[in-house]
Order: sequence, then structure tokens, then C-alpha cells
Amino acid sequence: MSWQIAALVRESLASAWSQRVASVVTIVMIAGMCAAVLLTTGRTVGAEDAVLRSIDSAGTRAIVISADAAAGLDSTVLDRIAHLDGIQWAAAFGSVTDVTNAAFPDGTPVPTRNVWGSELDDLGIGTSVDPGSTAWASEDALGELGLIEPAGGAVSETGGDIAVVGKLNLPDYLSFLEPAVFIPEPASRVGPVSILVVIASRPDLVEPVAAATKSVLAVDDPTAVSMKTSAALAALRAAVEGQLGQFGRTLVLLICGLTGVLVAAILFGLVMLRRRDYGRRRALGATRSLIVTVVLVQTAAPAVVGAAVGSLAGTISIAALGDPAPDLDFIVAIGVFAIAVAVIAALLPALVAARREPIRELRVP
Amino acid sequence: MSAVLEARELTFGYSREQPLLADWSAAFDAGEVVAVTGPSGRGKSTLLYLLGLMLAPHNGEVVLDGRPASALRDGARSRLRGSAYGFVFQDAALDATRTVIDNVTETALYRGQSRHAALVRGRELLEQFGVAVRADAKPGQVSGGQAQRIALCRALLGEPRVLLADEPTGNLDPASARVVVNAFHAHANTGAAVVVVTHDPALVAQCDRTIEL
Repeated sequence: MSWQIAALVRESLASAWSQRVASVVTIVMIAGMCAAVLLTTGRTVGAEDAVLRSIDSAGTRAIVISADAAAGLDSTVLDRIAHLDGIQWAAAFGSVTDVTNAAFPDGTPVPTRNVWGSELDDLGIGTSVDPGSTAWASEDALGELGLIEPAGGAVSETGGDIAVVGKLNLPDYLSFLEPAVFIPEPASRVGPVSILVVIASRPDLVEPVAAATKSVLAVDDPTAVSMKTSAALAALRAAVEGQLGQFGRTLVLLICGLTGVLVAAILFGLVMLRRRDYGRRRALGATRSLIVTVVLVQTAAPAVVGAAVGSLAGTISIAALGDPAPDLDFIVAIGVFAIAVAVIAALLPALVAARREPIRELRVP
Repeated sequence: MSAVLEARELTFGYSREQPLLADWSAAFDAGEVVAVTGPSGRGKSTLLYLLGLMLAPHNGEVVLDGRPASALRDGARSRLRGSAYGFVFQDAALDATRTVIDNVTETALYRGQSRHAALVRGRELLEQFGVAVRADAKPGQVSGGQAQRIALCRALLGEPRVLLADEPTGNLDPASARVVVNAFHAHANTGAAVVVVTHDPALVAQCDRTIEL
């Protein structure tokens, strides 16, 4: 059975090779289709990804809650938040205490905050051997402390010693805390919290997560709490995603539909030109299903070449133009879609070829 | 001798009102070469296509080796054409885009014969019929006589039970025509039936039996 399939594929490839004009036209059409989709929709998708990344980096999904001391918000809020769905990351920050470089007590004071959270390693904070007196500092904070390397001593305004042991990797959504020096605290050491930052796992979850978080704050004075969300940015993100996505899908369907019609028309013309060939095959014993298979495979083979050439050309062109490129999944999907369009377009001509009557095609007047 | 192929009360016409064949019967025995002759328009080629299972009769049936064949479904008739029949058409009907050896071995795919075995047998047949062209040449590079011999090689590749030929010597010189007729007799002697539609009196004279339409 396998060698019969191999024979069928070989026959189809030989047919494609013997009908070079048709094969080259198919390659050009499918390559053009892939390149056109990549240079239009592909660039749109690439630009969309870039815009979305930009919006995301601005903290689309961030919820920032500020609490005055009168609110009585403490670090146990993280335990309650841990039971909520739709949260990617959360951390609680204490109130500010200024520190200066231990070697320069009169140097620039830099604010430090105690920090609680289970995923502080995202900020570059490692395991603290001496909780409460070991700190990580941002680039800006290190500069203001006069530390060239992220290692050194600092003294708080209350006279406590703090060891700076590492550099913070501060994401954009925490940039409002710059210059930042964070002192990680264990969950067991409960302390007052002045800022709570929660990152929703998706932009559309910002509003429900904000509402849920607010409901578990358990503060003494709700009026002493304020909340900032990026709901408007999240809505903008959804709008960008929806409108550009819709535009891209419409454009892909338009280009593929047009190419499919052209491929079908060309193949139909070629089948009509070679109707005597199909009539002879029928007379000599080819079943209709065999002829359909041969026509489809002999179309699919140049379509694969066309998809590869077009995808490569489109990707190189986008890179040459300096535009953001779509990801590999999109490029592969367009190639597979283009091959499917060619095969579907070849179906009607294949069925016509399979129905050629030997007596009509082979009789000599 | 036993009948390899039988036409039993065949009725067929391109219009129902004027049938070309009406209740037409004949038997074609193993080992004989039968010529079908008659004026143009009497349905000689149509009869050949009926016997070759390419047309379905309105009434009657075609029987191959004692088994009804014309009433089979299209796929089964196609497979039977590929495995039990050989065809030689008037103008050879070769695929101009493929090589000579590809043309000779074309039917191997249709009957599920291995390509290697088909290539070996195809080269033997080309040599046997004196087709002195490269196997990778295209049909456009050979003469009419050579093209018809190539078509004959294609027809004989599967050692068919029935060989049908439509004006096989119509475009051939006497020497090429002689090669073709000798091949028909040689193949009939293997136990096959050979049916030849022709206007050529010389060919008719060399057949074992003549049916006039």
C-alpha cells in the first residue's frame, strides 16, 4: 500500500514537473499571496503586537492602591488576595524611611520601603539572610546613594543599619517608586502597608480584579484608601486588538479569496487544455479518484514551494523595511492556509478532469 | 476455443431514437484477431468503446471471461480497463509532456504494478518492437510509426486479456503496419482476444475473422 501511495505521489510530482508552466504559475500565485498577506496583514499584526507590548509595558494591567496610615492596611492583605482569581502578581509596600550611605551620613537621603510578596524574585530580589535589614536598590537609588556596585552599607534616619546586597530589576509599573530601595520582609512579620500593587492576568480582568481586591482590603477607614487602575488603557488595548485583528482577518480573507479564484481559473483552463490527457488516462484505467488525487497533489507540490518562497520573501521584505515582523506561528499559519487555498481551488478542476469521457477526447474525426 | 470477451444483445446510440447498435451480439475467442469493418458512421469505434467498458450500453451487456463487466460501477470498470485491457488508439494518444518510458509504463500505476517491474518490462518491449529512441526522449521527437509502436508497448505492458485497437495502422507505413499486425497475432497466441477496428483492407486480410457492421 505504501509503495502505491509513493507511486501516486511520484506520478503527481512527475505531472507537475512535466507541466512546468502550470507549476510555475501556481508557485508565483501562492508566493505572491503569502508575500502580499505578510506585507499587509503581517505588518499590521507585527505593528499590533508592538503597540500592545508598548501598552502592556505601561502597566495596562496594574492596580495601585495607596493607603494612609489611618486606613490600617497591613501585609496580611496578601493572604486574602492570594485566594482571588485573575491575579498574576501582587506585592505590598510599607511606608517610606529615608537612608543614606553609611560612609556619607550627610549624603543624599534615599527612600526605602519594606516589601512583602511571594514572587519578589521578579524584581531581582533574592533570598534574604537577614530579613528586615537587607535591601535591594534600583539603579537610580544606587546612584543617589553613591554606590558604584550594588553592595554597601546604609543608615536609616532612625539609626538602623541596612546592607545593600543587590540591584533591583524594576518593571515599568513600579517606576513611580523610584528611586527604590526595597527591604524584603517575611510574610510572618506583619507590618503596615502604604502601597499595594496588583497585576491582573489579562487587561479585561483589571476592573473585576480591582473590585475584588478592594473588597478584601479590610481597612479601618475606607476613605483613607485610594485606587488607581489603568482601565482606560485596558479598554484602548482591547480596541486596538479588536479593530486591527478584524482588519487583518478581512484582508487575509480578501487576498486568499482572490488568489483562490485566480488559481482555480488558471487550473480550470489548464485542465481544459489537457482534457485529452485526462480522457486517455481514464481510457487506460485511471479511476476518477486517482485523477482527482493526482491533480490535487500536483497542485499542492508547487503550492508548498510557493508558500515557502513567498513567506521567506515577505519576511525578508518586512525586515528590510524595518517594520515589526509577525511571529513564526503567524507566518507558518499563512503558508499552510495558502496551500489549503490552492488545494481547495484545484478541487473543481480536478473533478472536471476526472469526468472527462475517453470517447469524447480520443476519437479522431 | 473459449470466449474471452462477449457482447450480448448490445443496444447503444447517442440518441435513443436512432441506436447505432441494436441487440448486437458477438463473441471474441482466445487466440484470435478479429477485424471490425464497415462504412464510417456505423458505430465501429463506438462498439470498441463499449467493449472496452468506456461506454455503458443502454441494453445488453459486455461479459469478460464469463463475468458481466459493463454493469459494474465506474471505479470497478476503470480498474478492469487497467488490469485486463490494452488499448491502441488511431493516433497513438501519447502524453507529449512525458518521456517515452513514462508513456509505456503509465498503466502500471492504474493496476498497482510496481514501477521497477514496469520499467524492466517496458524497456524489453521497446527493444522487442525496435523503438530505437532513448527512453527519456519525448513523443514529439519520434516518428508516427515509432509513436504507434510505443503505444503498442504501453498496451501490452500489462499482458492484457483483451487488446482493442482503433485504426492502429491508419497512419503507418507498410513496414510499421506489419510490426503491429505481427504483435497482435503474437499476443493473441498467448491466449488473449484481439479486436481491431479498421478500414485497412491489408490489415483485414491478415485477421483471423472479420465482423462487418
